[in-house]
Amino acid sequence: MKRYFRELSVVGALLAVLIGLALVAPAFFSPQPLLSLVTREAPTLVVACGMAGVIITRQIDISVGSMFSVCSVCAGLLAARGWPLAWVLPASVGLGALFGAFNGFLVAVLRLPSIVVTLATMVTLRQGLNLIRQGEFVNLPDRVQWFGLSQTAGQLVLVGTALGLLVALAWAMRNLRIGRTLYAVGTDAEAARLAGISPQGVTLLVFVFIGALTGLGAMMNLAQSPQVQPLTGNGLELKVIAAVVVGGVAISGGRGNLWGAFAGLLLLACVAPALTHLHVEAYWEKAVQGAIILLAVVADGLRSRQLKR
Amino acid sequence: MSPAPHAPTLANTPRRDWRAGLTRHEMLLLYVLIAEWLFFYFAGTSTNRRGVIVGFGTWDRQFDILRHSCEIGLLALALTPVIITAGIDLSVGSLLGLCAILFGKLWHDAGLSIPVAMGLTLGIGALAGALNAVLITALRLPPLIVTLGTYSLFRGLAEAITRGSITYTDFPENFLFIGQERWLGLPTQAWIFFSVALAMGLLLHRTTFGRAFRTLGLAPEGALYAGLPVERRLALVYVLAGLIAAIAAIIYTARLGQAKADAGTGYELFAITAVVLGGTSIFGGTGTIPGTLLGVAAIAVLKNGLACLPVVMRLNAAEEMSGLLTGALLLVALSASVLPKILSHLRPRRHTAPQP
Repeated sequence: MKRYFRELSVVGALLAVLIGLALVAPAFFSPQPLLSLVTREAPTLVVACGMAGVIITRQIDISVGSMFSVCSVCAGLLAARGWPLAWVLPASVGLGALFGAFNGFLVAVLRLPSIVVTLATMVTLRQGLNLIRQGEFVNLPDRVQWFGLSQTAGQLVLVGTALGLLVALAWAMRNLRIGRTLYAVGTDAEAARLAGISPQGVTLLVFVFIGALTGLGAMMNLAQSPQVQPLTGNGLELKVIAAVVVGGVAISGGRGNLWGAFAGLLLLACVAPALTHLHVEAYWEKAVQGAIILLAVVADGLRSRQLKR
Repeated sequence: MSPAPHAPTLANTPRRDWRAGLTRHEMLLLYVLIAEWLFFYFAGTSTNRRGVIVGFGTWDRQFDILRHSCEIGLLALALTPVIITAGIDLSVGSLLGLCAILFGKLWHDAGLSIPVAMGLTLGIGALAGALNAVLITALRLPPLIVTLGTYSLFRGLAEAITRGSITYTDFPENFLFIGQERWLGLPTQAWIFFSVALAMGLLLHRTTFGRAFRTLGLAPEGALYAGLPVERRLALVYVLAGLIAAIAAIIYTARLGQAKADAGTGYELFAITAVVLGGTSIFGGTGTIPGTLLGVAAIAVLKNGLACLPVVMRLNAAEEMSGLLTGALLLVALSASVLPKILSHLRPRRHTAPQP
């Protein structure tokens, strides 16, 4: 109980928001809009799983938004060209993994700070996409939306995929050797090296992994609309980092888990609808998001200070 | 025994020429800058049908480059001490937007005079910097995540205040003078930019106070044992960054004649690139103001030069091209800075006596 205090406090906050919404705006809980909300967040959840891994390893990746856009547009173009979805999916995942490997190479092998590397790749990818596409939309063939299923079935498939991935990865992070190495490297890379782990290998791996998950997330996003906007991933990095940090993953590495990140994501996802139901204008969303990040970080800081005393 | 002849001591310091003020990295950057400038001079200048020279090689264009690089240049100056102390501030671009909006609001809605609104805006900038400073120093939180949070918060506040649509315009002529006219031959804002650069240069290179920033970046523990007030100095760096971001906001508003919520979006990247390109180590400890100025110039020439190339003009993609190249440039500059270290690791090591 005490060990997971941080995660439980996020769950508590989430429950408080949900109860508040139930009292003020019961319409929030009607099944179809709720399913739509959860479906919209499914790609974010997939990327957040990768981000949790990266931050636990004491790195950061702010290029996910740009990677998401590029993967979406590329996958959309391939689908529009008549590729079957069974080919488009690995192509998108592979492209993401390739970008991730590039970031990972610069961070792990050249030992450059991840924040600056991914800042540079973020801008390079985004501007490259703008340059080539000039903001053009990609029209998708009908078979792509909801994978050719009915809307509800498609939504259930997407949410099921995201949740399945969450459960599998959370289990792997806790029980598999490879999952534990992330914590080891994030806590103390030198100690991990002495214990026989290759910190460079692990760092490379988490970057490739978040790239691949971003490619998958882009694919899941593709299935939700008849068109691909080139700006689709803008600001995704902030949303994902906020969710992970609010969920109790320490930015200084080595602490946190995917369930916390999941709770953090749900909490942030409820902010926008909650604001609407409380008659606050939607323009406040970004400011509220920033404030929640700061609040979570301050809470972590105060807590770690208390523990030291 | 007298010291070796090539080791300068107080007695035999060789006469310094102008090159002595620059490090090897900065000399290299200077050559790159000159090459870049010459390239655009020859590739981007042409004569139109009436025989008038147009494009990159005109004085007007050169002043334009100076005018357009002031805001990013100021942010780069603000970030130089931050990065020297091994920190980072991602929020300066957003703070520029927030300050621009608040300046417009103070003048337009609160009916304050321009100088009072300016003073208050500078105060707000310093206050916002102080928010970063308190979180980073008093609570010992990582600068990266704190400023990522305020990056979102400041931009979000700017959007909330303007409801995403209000733009403040119709500023008086004598205010627009700062951003659109020339004073003593140079664009007015360039004088402000150069004064801030001079002040920062003096602070960082000519005072013990400012030189201590390098100690903070190199060895915070050591700085503490040397009796430096580490937290107060660190806090000052972020407050200063906020203040300079507010100056940049005022100049931005005066140049465009309007204050809007998306002012300065993405400027933090250009500023960080300029600083790193200028030889400041992203790990802290080393860095100079002249280097940063050269970095700013390299980026500004690239951005404006591209807009003059016929190929880019036909594509109408100067913005994207310069963004793309700046990102790539940052990656190359970073990799180049660590390459010698990597290579020396790869070379077989000579056996040396173990350290005692």
